Amino acid sequence: MLWASFALALPVYAQKDSIALDPVTVKGFVPQKFMSGLKIQRIDSASLAQVRYQNIGDILSAYTPIAFKNYGPGQLSTASFRGTSANHTAVLWNGLNINAPTLGQTDFSTIPVAGFDQLSVQYGSSASIVGSDAVGGSILLDSRASVTPFHVSDGRQQESFRNHQSRTDIRYAFPLNNAWAFSGKTALYYGRMNNDYPKPTRNTYALLPTETFQKGIVQDLFLRSQNGQEISAHVWLTDNKLTLTPDDIQGREMTRTTAYRTMVRYQVHTFTLRTAWVRDIIDYAKGDLSHPDHSVTDKFASRIEKDFTLSLGSEVNPVSVKTGGEWTHYRSRVPGYALSPASENRTDFFLLTRWQPATRATISVNLRQGLVTGFNPPFTPSVGLEYGLIQKALYTLTLKGSYGRSYRVPTLNERYWKDLGNPDIRPETGWNKEIGLEQTFKRAFGGTLRSSATFYHNRIKDWTYWNPSRNYRVENLQQVLARGMELQLSYQRQTGSWRTGLDAGYAFNKSSQEKAYDSYSRDIVGKQLVFVPEHTANANAFVQFKYTKLTGQLQAASKRYTTFDNSQFLDGYGLVNLLAETTFAFYKFKLVLQGQVRNVTDTFYLNVRNNAMPGRSFAVSLTFSYDSQ
Amino acid sequence: MKMKRQLASSLAVVFSTLAVWSCNQSDPAPKGDYVSGVFVSNLGNFLQNNGGVSYFARENNTATADVFAAANGTALKGGVQDYTASEQQGIILVDNSVAGQDKVQFVERYTFKDEGTIGAPDIENPREVVIVGRKAYVSCWGTNPDYKYSTGYIAVIDLTTKKVTKKIDIAKGPENLVYNAGKLFVGTTTYTDGNILTVINTNTDAVTQSIPMEGVVTPIGVDANGKVWVNAGIKALRVNPESLVTEATLAIGTDATKVPESFTMSNDMKTIYFVLTAYDANFNPFGKTYKFNITDSQIDLNKPFISRYFTGLTIDPTQGLLYAAVTPSSTQAGYAVRYRGDGNVVDSIKVGISPNGFFFQ
Repeated sequence: MLWASFALALPVYAQKDSIALDPVTVKGFVPQKFMSGLKIQRIDSASLAQVRYQNIGDILSAYTPIAFKNYGPGQLSTASFRGTSANHTAVLWNGLNINAPTLGQTDFSTIPVAGFDQLSVQYGSSASIVGSDAVGGSILLDSRASVTPFHVSDGRQQESFRNHQSRTDIRYAFPLNNAWAFSGKTALYYGRMNNDYPKPTRNTYALLPTETFQKGIVQDLFLRSQNGQEISAHVWLTDNKLTLTPDDIQGREMTRTTAYRTMVRYQVHTFTLRTAWVRDIIDYAKGDLSHPDHSVTDKFASRIEKDFTLSLGSEVNPVSVKTGGEWTHYRSRVPGYALSPASENRTDFFLLTRWQPATRATISVNLRQGLVTGFNPPFTPSVGLEYGLIQKALYTLTLKGSYGRSYRVPTLNERYWKDLGNPDIRPETGWNKEIGLEQTFKRAFGGTLRSSATFYHNRIKDWTYWNPSRNYRVENLQQVLARGMELQLSYQRQTGSWRTGLDAGYAFNKSSQEKAYDSYSRDIVGKQLVFVPEHTANANAFVQFKYTKLTGQLQAASKRYTTFDNSQFLDGYGLVNLLAETTFAFYKFKLVLQGQVRNVTDTFYLNVRNNAMPGRSFAVSLTFSYDSQ
Repeated sequence: MKMKRQLASSLAVVFSTLAVWSCNQSDPAPKGDYVSGVFVSNLGNFLQNNGGVSYFARENNTATADVFAAANGTALKGGVQDYTASEQQGIILVDNSVAGQDKVQFVERYTFKDEGTIGAPDIENPREVVIVGRKAYVSCWGTNPDYKYSTGYIAVIDLTTKKVTKKIDIAKGPENLVYNAGKLFVGTTTYTDGNILTVINTNTDAVTQSIPMEGVVTPIGVDANGKVWVNAGIKALRVNPESLVTEATLAIGTDATKVPESFTMSNDMKTIYFVLTAYDANFNPFGKTYKFNITDSQIDLNKPFISRYFTGLTIDPTQGLLYAAVTPSSTQAGYAVRYRGDGNVVDSIKVGISPNGFFFQ
């Protein structure tokens, strides 16, 4: 088959058990088991540990085809997932959407790897499960209960340009009594990017002087009983302060992004209750930094859900069902809003199902209806299917497909910004179709080889647009068609003390505006969206011998258009990073020494501001850990 | 033609020497890819710093979108606020979105080769440039950190040394400049309530007069009779260049929320064209283009010359066509639209992003 010759990819991690799962055993914050037919990529813990001092953008660039629109090191970085805009990637922390409600997006430069324990990437629309924003894909950040009685790690990374990052993690677990066990994690992180570049320019382009400070604390607590009860509490406080041209006392610009994220979750058997409060604060000042513009947005979110099984008779497997609702209240005080505070209520009801009519087949049918103050998003159904075409001991070939509606509720800025906002703006809505094949060779070249090919087609209507030809008033102007394919390949082999592995991906994303809306939009119709590269490639290869590991990373993107008519663009580029690390273990202690060479080839490339990105740079880290086990 | 300038590039020296030699002491024709044509200043999209200077020969209807990039292999890295040229030297005002990155970029006039820059703190938020002899006057808003327009000045540049020799403080955001007979007339940005016409003596580079007027002041130009025309608020004034007394006042309608902009004079210096801009509820500009004769007793707003809004307007001194800049948005290329004297369209040429002015040579 033709596809097999170049069909790569996909660490497939969606569950494919041939037995219907007991719903009680399903842990996890996002109901991934109802995402049949969708592609989910879990980034393994070893890969996360390798970039433990870095931001999430670094690891997503290395392992996924997500393109980032980056303003510079330590500066705003937003995602374009499958050809969509920064508003179309849902970022979930323990199942809660943490995109800033004002902007409807996440600045990935403010999310350090230190903030979560587990990272999964779900490709394509999953609005029926995740809700608003899950149009191009979702990033799932999860906390995990500690399994070791006591673990502590502490370390620091020293980088070129007088930058450094440090982090401390403590994990603990112990039984409280015969019925209850307690576990938890406390993590602290602190980073400072001084960006003291040796030269102010590269190839005549300025390396913009900027400083970024980042600090935060994560606290997770889990109480689990033997009779199926679990209570957990999660807190993530994070603070990120960026200053442009800090030495220019009159012209410097400071943006401080602070988030308090808190959550309590209670689960008893098949019933789950979750309540969360998130406060997002943005302070901005120019020149005099003592009186910044101060924006505060509170989000109160509660969710209730219940799992059960629906019997279809003794001859067939029962249907797993999850049903529930979410209620969210927003209250926002933003200096630029027409009213303060602006408030909004959103309610969602959902019904998720998963059924395995035969061992080879899994079907999910999911339904969601959102209700929002002032208007209602569309009814959002989806259907997903997985079918095992070949299921042999050493080879499996699976067909996956999904068809579903997506939507995006307008952001608070889009509705409430004075003059330029539009209280009557409609939610965006789209239909996403995708189909893919995944294969696994259990013994290929002495290891396990997985590959996948996925094709998608996602048309989004009423795409909101801060219309630059109307002084950036927001309008439901555009209709965007994003289509493309992803090829992924992963390979792992272990022989004796040697381990080798490869993760590689290629993506083609063609994303264009379809609808004319004024006389000059003819220059835009059919053109690739800005900052969405048509081609991206990533590869991550490692060789490990005992406690020493050498890793090479490649990230490449084709040219990124910077204007809607494609008259200007930033050149494509490829970056190579090398990482070498070795672990010294003695008794229950470990010391990990890691060195990195970033941008090995000293490649010149530009960011959104038309400023140069740094050339070759270095980082060294030392991490000490103790594990009681 | 004087050939004694210091040239930045040794290659350029070679070419220039060859040019002089080959012409055998006769007045050499200028050499370069951009000798005779139209230059367009493009503001670009502010945060993307992607403005530039476009160029096309008059007989063509396609443009080189970014001449500086084509000639030097690197972009200007900012929006272009204005472009003009002395005998040999082009001067580009480059405005970057980040403080401290603005500059005056010098280029060889006919090849557009980089000939150096003047940056911060000498140049901050440059707006317009006028050349007087071997000096250039650049209106600058200064650092303007609080957007109160209290840090503005005129930078006086010695074109031989390429150094700022003096800064002349001007309140309320200095903007339009008109030179006439030893006097530089300075207006201010329409973003403020400034109402002072400042007159600078270009021999002493000192402010000699500050004349209060009814509204924000924009000097327009000097007419066929040697009179200076000034826009103040929604009035056009004819000013005696010696006494500085207003001799005639023409009302530009009665709606003070509208802003007359993009003034330009016909080649016989008897007709003045302008765009009357209004803003809708979303601060979105719209409007029409008008003209009046210097002998008119009133401006008839019922008869627009062209029923369109433009972001720049200039008449080509060579052919007399009116060049009008069209900005569909700041995220796609704009157009230069050419009109005949009767208001009929000749053609339109795709240029850079947010075109706002033209320079002809």
